[in-house]
Amino acid sequence: MDGSIRRASTRSPNRQGRWLASAVSLGLASQAAIVAMMFTTAAYAEDAPAVSKHDVDAKLAYCEVCHGVSAQGFHGYYPIPRLAGQQTEYLKNQLQAFVEHRRTNNIMFNVGHVLSPAMIAALAADFKDLDPKPLSGGPKDLVATGQKIFADGIPDGKVPACASCHGPDAKGNGPFPRLAGQLFDYVVSKLTNWDKERGQNPAKPDESAIMEPIAHNLTGPQIKAVAAYLSYLE
Amino acid sequence: MRSLKALHTGEETMDVSLRHPETMARNVRRGRQIVRCVGLQLALPAAILAAVFTGIGRADDAGRGSGGNVQAKISYCKDCHGPSAQGYRGFFPIPRLAGQQPEYLENQLRAFIEHRRTNNIMFNVAHALSPAMVTALATNFRDLNPAPIGGAPKQLVVAGKKIFEDGVPDANIAACAACHGPEATGSGQIPRLAGQLYPYVIKELTNWGKERGQNSARPDTSAIMSPVAHSLTRPQIEAVAAFVSYLK
Repeated sequence: MDGSIRRASTRSPNRQGRWLASAVSLGLASQAAIVAMMFTTAAYAEDAPAVSKHDVDAKLAYCEVCHGVSAQGFHGYYPIPRLAGQQTEYLKNQLQAFVEHRRTNNIMFNVGHVLSPAMIAALAADFKDLDPKPLSGGPKDLVATGQKIFADGIPDGKVPACASCHGPDAKGNGPFPRLAGQLFDYVVSKLTNWDKERGQNPAKPDESAIMEPIAHNLTGPQIKAVAAYLSYLE
Repeated sequence: MRSLKALHTGEETMDVSLRHPETMARNVRRGRQIVRCVGLQLALPAAILAAVFTGIGRADDAGRGSGGNVQAKISYCKDCHGPSAQGYRGFFPIPRLAGQQPEYLENQLRAFIEHRRTNNIMFNVAHALSPAMVTALATNFRDLNPAPIGGAPKQLVVAGKKIFEDGVPDANIAACAACHGPEATGSGQIPRLAGQLYPYVIKELTNWGKERGQNSARPDTSAIMSPVAHSLTRPQIEAVAAFVSYLK
Protein backbone atom coordinates (compact mmCIF):
# COMPACT_ATOMS: atom_id res chain seq x y z
CA MET A 1 0.00 0.00 0.00
CA ASP A 2 2.82 2.35 0.82
CA GLY A 3 3.70 2.76 -2.82
CA SER A 4 0.81 5.09 -3.37
CA ILE A 5 1.15 7.07 -0.20
CA ARG A 6 0.76 10.65 -1.06
CA ARG A 7 3.69 12.88 -0.42
CA ALA A 8 3.39 16.52 0.48
CA SER A 9 3.80 18.52 -2.68
CA THR A 10 5.33 21.94 -2.82
CA ARG A 11 4.40 24.40 -5.47
CA SER A 12 6.45 27.33 -6.55
CA PRO A 13 4.68 30.66 -6.10
CA ASN A 14 6.38 31.90 -9.26
CA ARG A 15 5.15 29.07 -11.38
CA GLN A 16 2.42 31.00 -13.12
CA GLY A 17 4.89 33.54 -14.43
CA ARG A 18 7.07 30.79 -15.77
CA TRP A 19 4.30 28.96 -17.53
CA LEU A 20 3.23 32.07 -19.34
CA ALA A 21 6.75 32.61 -20.59
CA SER A 22 7.24 29.00 -21.57
CA ALA A 23 3.88 28.79 -23.31
CA VAL A 24 4.82 31.75 -25.49
CA SER A 25 8.23 30.41 -26.41
CA LEU A 26 6.83 26.96 -27.12
CA GLY A 27 4.32 28.46 -29.51
CA LEU A 28 6.92 30.44 -31.41
CA ALA A 29 9.34 27.58 -31.59
CA SER A 30 7.05 24.97 -33.03
CA GLN A 31 5.45 26.37 -36.13
CA ALA A 32 5.54 23.08 -37.95
CA ALA A 33 3.65 21.45 -35.13
CA ILE A 34 1.14 24.26 -35.09
CA VAL A 35 0.41 23.75 -38.77
CA ALA A 36 -0.02 20.04 -38.22
CA MET A 37 -2.39 20.65 -35.37
CA MET A 38 -4.21 23.74 -36.49
CA PHE A 39 -7.59 22.10 -36.30
CA THR A 40 -7.11 21.06 -32.73
CA THR A 41 -5.23 23.79 -30.97
CA ALA A 42 -6.41 26.99 -32.59
CA ALA A 43 -8.68 27.79 -29.66
CA TYR A 44 -5.75 28.00 -27.28
CA ALA A 45 -4.28 30.97 -29.07
CA GLU A 46 -7.11 33.10 -27.73
CA ASP A 47 -6.41 35.03 -24.61
CA ALA A 48 -8.48 34.02 -21.65
CA PRO A 49 -8.88 35.59 -18.25
CA ALA A 50 -6.10 34.56 -15.92
CA VAL A 51 -6.90 32.04 -13.25
CA SER A 52 -6.08 32.56 -9.60
CA LYS A 53 -3.46 30.51 -7.82
CA HIS A 54 -6.16 29.36 -5.44
CA ASP A 55 -8.26 27.98 -8.26
CA VAL A 56 -5.29 26.34 -9.93
CA ASP A 57 -4.19 24.69 -6.70
CA ALA A 58 -7.72 23.44 -6.05
CA LYS A 59 -7.91 22.01 -9.55
CA LEU A 60 -4.49 20.39 -9.22
CA ALA A 61 -5.58 18.72 -6.00
CA TYR A 62 -8.61 17.41 -7.86
CA CYS A 63 -6.49 16.03 -10.72
CA GLU A 64 -4.20 14.38 -8.22
CA VAL A 65 -7.04 12.50 -6.52
CA CYS A 66 -6.96 10.13 -9.46
CA HIS A 67 -3.59 10.76 -11.11
CA GLY A 68 -1.57 10.55 -7.88
CA VAL A 69 -0.33 13.32 -5.64
CA SER A 70 2.82 13.76 -7.69
CA ALA A 71 0.91 12.97 -10.88
CA GLN A 72 2.93 9.76 -11.11
CA GLY A 73 -0.20 7.87 -12.17
CA PHE A 74 -2.39 5.55 -10.14
CA HIS A 75 -4.04 2.18 -10.42
CA GLY A 76 -7.71 2.93 -9.89
CA TYR A 77 -10.33 0.77 -11.51
CA TYR A 78 -8.58 1.80 -14.70
CA PRO A 79 -4.88 2.48 -15.06
CA ILE A 80 -4.80 6.25 -14.62
CA PRO A 81 -1.90 7.74 -16.52
CA ARG A 82 1.14 9.55 -15.25
CA LEU A 83 0.97 13.25 -16.08
CA ALA A 84 4.24 14.23 -14.41
CA GLY A 85 6.78 15.57 -16.87
CA GLN A 86 4.28 15.37 -19.71
CA GLN A 87 4.66 17.70 -22.68
CA THR A 88 2.40 20.71 -22.20
CA GLU A 89 1.30 20.77 -25.81
CA TYR A 90 0.30 17.12 -25.66
CA LEU A 91 -1.62 17.56 -22.42
CA LYS A 92 -3.53 20.53 -23.77
CA ASN A 93 -4.36 18.69 -26.94
CA GLN A 94 -5.62 15.64 -25.06
CA LEU A 95 -7.87 17.69 -22.81
CA GLN A 96 -9.29 19.32 -25.92
CA ALA A 97 -9.61 15.88 -27.53
CA PHE A 98 -11.82 14.68 -24.69
CA VAL A 99 -14.06 17.72 -25.03
CA GLU A 100 -14.30 17.34 -28.81
CA HIS A 101 -14.92 13.59 -28.62
CA ARG A 102 -11.80 12.91 -30.60
CA ARG A 103 -10.78 10.83 -27.66
CA THR A 104 -13.61 8.97 -25.97
CA ASN A 105 -13.60 8.90 -22.18
CA ASN A 106 -16.70 9.97 -20.31
CA ILE A 107 -14.90 10.77 -17.08
CA MET A 108 -12.29 12.93 -18.77
CA PHE A 109 -14.92 14.58 -20.94
CA ASN A 110 -16.57 15.82 -17.78
CA VAL A 111 -13.27 16.89 -16.32
CA GLY A 112 -12.16 18.65 -19.47
CA HIS A 113 -15.26 20.52 -20.50
CA VAL A 114 -15.28 22.84 -17.48
CA LEU A 115 -11.63 23.88 -17.87
CA SER A 116 -10.84 27.30 -19.29
CA PRO A 117 -7.88 27.59 -21.67
CA ALA A 118 -5.99 29.52 -19.00
CA MET A 119 -6.64 26.77 -16.47
CA ILE A 120 -5.50 24.10 -18.91
CA ALA A 121 -2.30 26.02 -19.55
CA ALA A 122 -1.68 26.38 -15.84
CA LEU A 123 -2.27 22.69 -15.15
CA ALA A 124 -0.11 21.57 -18.05
CA ALA A 125 2.73 23.81 -16.92
CA ASP A 126 2.52 22.45 -13.39
CA PHE A 127 2.60 18.82 -14.43
CA LYS A 128 5.50 19.49 -16.78
CA ASP A 129 7.69 20.40 -13.81
CA LEU A 130 6.92 17.35 -11.68
CA ASP A 131 9.42 14.53 -11.73
CA PRO A 132 8.47 11.69 -9.37
CA LYS A 133 9.86 8.20 -9.75
CA PRO A 134 7.84 5.83 -11.94
CA LEU A 135 4.90 4.39 -10.02
CA SER A 136 5.51 0.72 -10.65
CA GLY A 137 6.96 -1.28 -13.42
CA GLY A 138 5.95 -4.00 -15.80
CA PRO A 139 7.64 -7.41 -16.11
CA LYS A 140 11.39 -6.84 -15.90
CA ASP A 141 12.20 -9.71 -18.18
CA LEU A 142 10.58 -7.82 -21.05
CA VAL A 143 12.65 -4.66 -20.62
CA ALA A 144 15.56 -5.59 -22.88
CA THR A 145 13.26 -6.54 -25.75
CA GLY A 146 11.24 -3.40 -25.22
CA GLN A 147 14.33 -1.24 -25.21
CA LYS A 148 15.35 -2.63 -28.57
CA ILE A 149 11.93 -2.01 -30.09
CA PHE A 150 11.90 1.51 -28.68
CA ALA A 151 15.35 2.36 -30.00
CA ASP A 152 15.33 0.50 -33.31
CA GLY A 153 11.72 -0.23 -34.20
CA ILE A 154 10.87 -3.43 -36.06
CA PRO A 155 11.82 -2.83 -39.69
CA ASP A 156 10.31 -6.10 -40.88
CA GLY A 157 7.08 -5.34 -39.06
CA LYS A 158 6.71 -1.80 -40.37
CA VAL A 159 7.19 -0.34 -36.94
CA PRO A 160 9.46 2.70 -36.84
CA ALA A 161 11.67 3.38 -33.87
CA CYS A 162 9.59 4.92 -31.09
CA ALA A 163 12.60 7.06 -30.23
CA SER A 164 12.42 8.89 -33.54
CA CYS A 165 9.38 10.87 -32.36
CA HIS A 166 9.29 10.33 -28.60
CA GLY A 167 13.01 10.95 -28.18
CA PRO A 168 15.84 8.68 -27.07
CA ASP A 169 14.84 9.15 -23.42
CA ALA A 170 11.11 8.95 -24.19
CA LYS A 171 10.62 12.46 -22.85
CA GLY A 172 8.48 13.44 -25.86
CA ASN A 173 8.50 16.75 -27.68
CA GLY A 174 5.63 19.18 -28.24
CA PRO A 175 2.71 17.19 -29.59
CA PHE A 176 4.55 13.91 -29.03
CA PRO A 177 3.93 12.68 -25.52
CA ARG A 178 6.46 11.74 -22.90
CA LEU A 179 6.29 8.00 -22.35
CA ALA A 180 9.04 7.66 -19.72
CA GLY A 181 7.60 6.33 -16.47
CA GLN A 182 4.16 5.80 -17.92
CA LEU A 183 2.15 2.99 -16.31
CA PHE A 184 2.73 -0.41 -17.89
CA ASP A 185 -0.93 -1.36 -18.11
CA TYR A 186 -1.88 2.10 -19.37
CA VAL A 187 0.53 1.88 -22.30
CA VAL A 188 -0.61 -1.65 -23.07
CA SER A 189 -4.24 -0.54 -22.99
CA LYS A 190 -3.65 2.49 -25.25
CA LEU A 191 -1.62 0.66 -27.87
CA THR A 192 -4.05 -2.23 -27.91
CA ASN A 193 -7.13 -0.04 -28.30
CA TRP A 194 -5.68 2.86 -30.24
CA ASP A 195 -8.20 2.99 -33.06
CA LYS A 196 -11.12 2.55 -30.66
CA GLU A 197 -10.10 5.43 -28.39
CA ARG A 198 -8.24 7.97 -30.47
CA GLY A 199 -9.23 9.95 -33.54
CA GLN A 200 -12.89 9.16 -32.91
CA ASN A 201 -14.40 12.34 -34.35
CA PRO A 202 -14.36 12.11 -38.16
CA ALA A 203 -15.13 15.83 -38.39
CA LYS A 204 -11.96 16.62 -36.47
CA PRO A 205 -9.11 14.40 -37.61
CA ASP A 206 -6.05 14.80 -35.45
CA GLU A 207 -2.45 13.72 -35.14
CA SER A 208 -3.40 10.53 -33.31
CA ALA A 209 -3.60 9.12 -36.84
CA ILE A 210 0.20 9.06 -36.84
CA MET A 211 0.24 6.30 -34.25
CA GLU A 212 -2.62 4.30 -35.72
CA PRO A 213 -0.66 2.08 -38.14
CA ILE A 214 2.15 1.67 -35.63
CA ALA A 215 -0.17 0.51 -32.89
CA HIS A 216 -1.87 -1.75 -35.40
CA ASN A 217 1.38 -3.37 -36.53
CA LEU A 218 2.74 -4.07 -33.06
CA THR A 219 1.96 -7.54 -31.77
CA GLY A 220 0.65 -8.09 -28.26
CA PRO A 221 4.02 -9.33 -26.94
CA GLN A 222 5.80 -6.39 -28.60
CA ILE A 223 3.38 -3.95 -26.98
CA LYS A 224 4.01 -5.48 -23.58
CA ALA A 225 7.75 -5.37 -24.08
CA VAL A 226 7.89 -1.72 -25.02
CA ALA A 227 5.41 -0.84 -22.26
CA ALA A 228 7.58 -2.65 -19.71
CA TYR A 229 10.67 -0.79 -20.87
CA LEU A 230 8.93 2.60 -20.65
CA SER A 231 7.48 1.90 -17.23
CA TYR A 232 10.95 1.94 -15.65
CA LEU A 233 12.33 4.99 -17.43
CA GLU A 234 12.89 7.96 -15.17
CA MET B 1 -39.69 -17.11 10.42
CA ARG B 2 -42.53 -16.05 8.15
CA SER B 3 -44.11 -14.01 10.89
CA LEU B 4 -40.81 -12.22 11.42
CA LYS B 5 -40.58 -11.55 7.70
CA ALA B 6 -44.10 -10.21 7.70
CA LEU B 7 -43.03 -7.49 10.10
CA HIS B 8 -40.92 -5.99 7.37
CA THR B 9 -42.26 -4.83 4.08
CA GLY B 10 -40.90 -3.51 0.82
CA GLU B 11 -37.38 -2.33 0.25
CA GLU B 12 -36.82 -1.58 3.90
CA THR B 13 -36.52 -5.22 4.89
CA MET B 14 -33.85 -6.35 7.21
CA ASP B 15 -35.44 -9.77 7.07
CA VAL B 16 -32.72 -11.16 4.82
CA SER B 17 -30.61 -11.68 7.87
CA LEU B 18 -33.53 -12.93 9.91
CA ARG B 19 -34.04 -15.79 7.49
CA HIS B 20 -30.76 -17.33 8.52
CA PRO B 21 -31.74 -19.96 11.08
CA GLU B 22 -28.69 -19.58 13.28
CA THR B 23 -28.84 -15.83 13.48
CA MET B 24 -32.59 -15.48 13.78
CA ALA B 25 -32.68 -15.75 17.52
CA ARG B 26 -29.52 -13.75 18.00
CA ASN B 27 -30.82 -10.85 15.99
CA VAL B 28 -33.23 -10.10 18.80
CA ARG B 29 -30.33 -9.27 21.11
CA ARG B 30 -28.01 -7.68 18.65
CA GLY B 31 -26.69 -5.12 21.13
CA ARG B 32 -25.43 -7.67 23.60
CA GLN B 33 -23.88 -9.64 20.81
CA ILE B 34 -21.38 -6.95 19.95
CA VAL B 35 -20.19 -6.89 23.53
CA ARG B 36 -19.86 -10.65 23.37
CA CYS B 37 -17.79 -10.40 20.18
CA VAL B 38 -15.27 -8.27 22.00
CA GLY B 39 -15.20 -10.49 25.05
CA LEU B 40 -14.48 -13.57 22.99
CA GLN B 41 -11.38 -12.05 21.56
CA LEU B 42 -10.01 -10.89 24.87
CA ALA B 43 -10.24 -14.49 26.03
CA LEU B 44 -7.76 -15.59 23.38
CA PRO B 45 -4.43 -14.15 24.52
CA ALA B 46 -2.41 -16.65 22.50
CA ALA B 47 -4.08 -15.53 19.33
CA ILE B 48 -3.52 -11.93 20.28
CA LEU B 49 0.18 -12.57 20.78
CA ALA B 50 0.35 -14.29 17.43
CA ALA B 51 -1.30 -11.28 15.86
CA VAL B 52 1.19 -8.80 17.22
CA PHE B 53 3.45 -9.41 14.27
CA THR B 54 0.76 -9.55 11.65
CA GLY B 55 1.90 -6.34 10.04
CA ILE B 56 5.38 -7.71 9.46
CA GLY B 57 5.47 -11.41 8.72
CA ARG B 58 2.22 -11.94 6.92
CA ALA B 59 3.25 -15.10 5.14
CA ASP B 60 4.98 -16.68 8.11
CA ASP B 61 2.21 -18.80 9.51
CA ALA B 62 0.26 -19.85 6.47
CA GLY B 63 -2.00 -22.78 7.19
CA ARG B 64 -3.42 -21.55 10.43
CA GLY B 65 -6.47 -20.24 8.69
CA SER B 66 -7.59 -23.54 7.25
CA GLY B 67 -10.51 -25.83 7.87
CA GLY B 68 -13.01 -25.50 10.63
CA ASN B 69 -11.34 -22.51 12.21
CA VAL B 70 -12.13 -20.48 9.14
CA GLN B 71 -15.77 -21.55 9.15
CA ALA B 72 -16.07 -20.67 12.81
CA LYS B 73 -14.54 -17.27 12.23
CA ILE B 74 -16.75 -16.60 9.22
CA SER B 75 -19.76 -17.44 11.33
CA TYR B 76 -18.49 -14.98 13.92
CA CYS B 77 -18.10 -12.21 11.32
CA LYS B 78 -21.60 -12.86 10.09
CA ASP B 79 -23.04 -12.38 13.55
CA CYS B 80 -22.69 -8.68 12.90
CA HIS B 81 -22.18 -8.35 9.14
CA GLY B 82 -25.16 -10.52 8.21
CA PRO B 83 -25.47 -14.19 7.27
CA SER B 84 -24.45 -13.50 3.69
CA ALA B 85 -22.19 -10.61 4.70
CA GLN B 86 -24.68 -8.29 3.05
CA GLY B 87 -24.30 -5.82 5.91
CA TYR B 88 -26.62 -5.14 8.79
CA ARG B 89 -28.21 -2.20 10.50
CA GLY B 90 -27.18 -2.72 14.07
CA PHE B 91 -26.77 0.11 16.52
CA PHE B 92 -24.19 1.24 13.99
CA PRO B 93 -24.56 0.59 10.28
CA ILE B 94 -22.39 -2.52 9.86
CA PRO B 95 -20.91 -2.65 6.39
CA ARG B 96 -21.49 -5.17 3.67
CA LEU B 97 -18.42 -7.35 3.17
CA ALA B 98 -19.87 -9.52 0.40
CA GLY B 99 -18.02 -9.14 -2.88
CA GLN B 100 -15.47 -6.86 -1.29
CA GLN B 101 -11.97 -6.66 -2.75
CA PRO B 102 -9.67 -8.93 -0.69
CA GLU B 103 -6.81 -6.45 -0.78
CA TYR B 104 -9.05 -3.73 0.62
CA LEU B 105 -10.44 -5.99 3.35
CA GLU B 106 -6.98 -7.08 4.42
CA ASN B 107 -5.77 -3.50 4.48
CA GLN B 108 -8.73 -2.38 6.58
CA LEU B 109 -8.19 -5.15 9.11
CA ARG B 110 -4.57 -4.03 9.41
CA ALA B 111 -5.74 -0.42 9.61
CA PHE B 112 -7.81 -1.23 12.69
CA ILE B 113 -4.86 -2.92 14.35
CA GLU B 114 -2.48 -0.09 13.51
CA HIS B 115 -4.97 2.55 14.63
CA ARG B 116 -4.98 4.02 11.17
CA ARG B 117 -8.69 3.46 11.32
CA THR B 118 -10.29 4.01 14.71
CA ASN B 119 -12.94 1.53 15.73
CA ASN B 120 -12.61 -0.23 19.04
CA ILE B 121 -14.86 -3.15 18.15
CA MET B 122 -13.00 -3.90 14.95
CA PHE B 123 -9.64 -3.36 16.61
CA ASN B 124 -10.48 -6.21 18.94
CA VAL B 125 -11.82 -8.36 16.13
CA ALA B 126 -8.81 -7.84 13.91
CA HIS B 127 -6.24 -8.10 16.62
CA ALA B 128 -6.92 -11.81 17.04
CA LEU B 129 -6.69 -12.76 13.37
CA SER B 130 -3.64 -14.51 11.93
CA PRO B 131 -2.51 -13.39 8.49
CA ALA B 132 -3.63 -16.70 7.03
CA MET B 133 -7.04 -16.25 8.61
CA VAL B 134 -7.34 -12.74 7.23
CA THR B 135 -6.58 -14.07 3.76
CA ALA B 136 -9.06 -16.90 4.12
CA LEU B 137 -11.82 -14.58 5.29
CA ALA B 138 -11.16 -12.04 2.56
CA THR B 139 -11.30 -14.75 -0.08
CA ASN B 140 -14.54 -16.10 1.32
CA PHE B 141 -16.28 -12.74 1.39
CA ARG B 142 -15.10 -11.98 -2.10
CA ASP B 143 -17.16 -14.83 -3.44
CA LEU B 144 -20.45 -13.93 -1.75
CA ASN B 145 -23.03 -12.09 -3.81
CA PRO B 146 -26.27 -11.47 -1.91
CA ALA B 147 -28.73 -8.82 -3.05
CA PRO B 148 -28.27 -5.38 -1.49
CA ILE B 149 -30.36 -4.84 1.64
CA GLY B 150 -31.77 -1.63 0.20
CA GLY B 151 -33.70 0.95 2.16
CA ALA B 152 -32.27 4.18 0.76
CA PRO B 153 -34.46 6.98 -0.60
CA LYS B 154 -35.00 6.04 -4.22
CA GLN B 155 -35.59 9.59 -5.36
CA LEU B 156 -31.89 10.31 -4.74
CA VAL B 157 -30.59 7.57 -7.01
CA VAL B 158 -30.57 9.55 -10.26
CA ALA B 159 -28.59 12.42 -8.77
CA GLY B 160 -26.25 9.96 -7.11
CA LYS B 161 -25.64 8.12 -10.37
CA LYS B 162 -24.57 11.34 -12.05
CA ILE B 163 -22.13 12.19 -9.27
CA PHE B 164 -20.76 8.66 -9.30
CA GLU B 165 -20.19 8.59 -13.05
CA ASP B 166 -19.21 12.19 -13.76
CA GLY B 167 -18.07 13.63 -10.47
CA VAL B 168 -18.78 17.31 -9.92
CA PRO B 169 -16.12 18.89 -12.12
CA ASP B 170 -17.02 22.47 -11.22
CA ALA B 171 -16.54 21.63 -7.55
CA ASN B 172 -13.36 19.63 -8.16
CA ILE B 173 -14.97 16.39 -7.10
CA ALA B 174 -13.55 13.43 -9.00
CA ALA B 175 -15.80 10.83 -10.59
CA CYS B 176 -16.18 7.91 -8.18
CA ALA B 177 -16.17 5.56 -11.17
CA ALA B 178 -12.57 6.39 -12.07
CA CYS B 179 -11.27 4.42 -9.12
CA HIS B 180 -14.24 2.38 -7.92
CA GLY B 181 -15.21 1.25 -11.43
CA PRO B 182 -18.30 1.90 -13.54
CA GLU B 183 -20.26 -0.68 -11.55
CA ALA B 184 -18.69 0.23 -8.21
CA THR B 185 -17.07 -3.17 -7.84
CA GLY B 186 -13.72 -1.69 -6.82
CA SER B 187 -10.30 -2.99 -7.78
CA GLY B 188 -7.44 -4.20 -5.62
CA GLN B 189 -6.90 -1.71 -2.85
CA ILE B 190 -9.98 0.26 -3.89
CA PRO B 191 -13.18 -0.98 -2.28
CA ARG B 192 -16.35 -2.23 -3.83
CA LEU B 193 -19.20 0.15 -3.04
CA ALA B 194 -21.98 -1.69 -4.87
CA GLY B 195 -24.68 -2.69 -2.42
CA GLN B 196 -23.00 -0.97 0.50
CA LEU B 197 -25.37 0.23 3.21
CA TYR B 198 -26.80 3.69 2.69
CA PRO B 199 -26.23 4.86 6.28
CA TYR B 200 -22.73 3.34 6.33
CA VAL B 201 -21.60 5.21 3.22
CA ILE B 202 -23.04 8.44 4.61
CA LYS B 203 -21.28 7.90 7.91
CA GLU B 204 -17.91 7.13 6.33
CA LEU B 205 -17.98 10.03 3.88
CA THR B 206 -19.18 12.43 6.56
CA ASN B 207 -16.55 11.42 9.10
CA TRP B 208 -13.69 10.49 6.81
CA GLY B 209 -11.18 12.83 8.36
CA LYS B 210 -12.04 11.59 11.84
CA GLU B 211 -12.03 7.85 11.15
CA ARG B 212 -9.45 7.16 8.47
CA GLY B 213 -5.76 7.90 8.28
CA GLN B 214 -5.66 8.45 12.04
CA ASN B 215 -2.11 7.24 12.67
CA SER B 216 0.20 10.02 11.57
CA ALA B 217 3.17 7.66 11.75
CA ARG B 218 1.53 5.43 9.16
CA PRO B 219 -0.01 7.48 6.36
CA ASP B 220 -2.11 5.33 4.06
CA THR B 221 -4.20 5.31 0.93
CA SER B 222 -7.22 6.70 2.75
CA ALA B 223 -5.66 10.11 2.10
CA ILE B 224 -6.79 9.81 -1.49
CA MET B 225 -10.42 10.07 -0.41
CA SER B 226 -9.89 12.95 2.03
CA PRO B 227 -10.34 15.84 -0.41
CA VAL B 228 -13.23 14.08 -2.11
CA ALA B 229 -15.10 13.41 1.11
CA HIS B 230 -14.36 16.93 2.31
CA SER B 231 -15.65 18.54 -0.88
CA LEU B 232 -18.90 16.60 -1.11
CA THR B 233 -21.91 18.35 0.39
CA ARG B 234 -24.30 16.46 2.63
CA PRO B 235 -26.98 16.21 -0.09
CA GLN B 236 -24.35 14.94 -2.55
CA ILE B 237 -23.17 12.34 -0.04
CA GLU B 238 -26.73 11.15 0.50
CA ALA B 239 -27.34 10.95 -3.25
CA VAL B 240 -24.25 8.93 -4.05
CA ALA B 241 -24.83 6.69 -1.01
CA ALA B 242 -28.37 5.99 -2.22
CA PHE B 243 -27.13 5.16 -5.71
CA VAL B 244 -24.47 2.69 -4.64
CA SER B 245 -26.73 1.06 -2.06
CA TYR B 246 -28.94 -0.37 -4.79
CA LEU B 247 -26.15 -1.57 -7.09
CA LYS B 248 -25.82 -5.32 -7.39
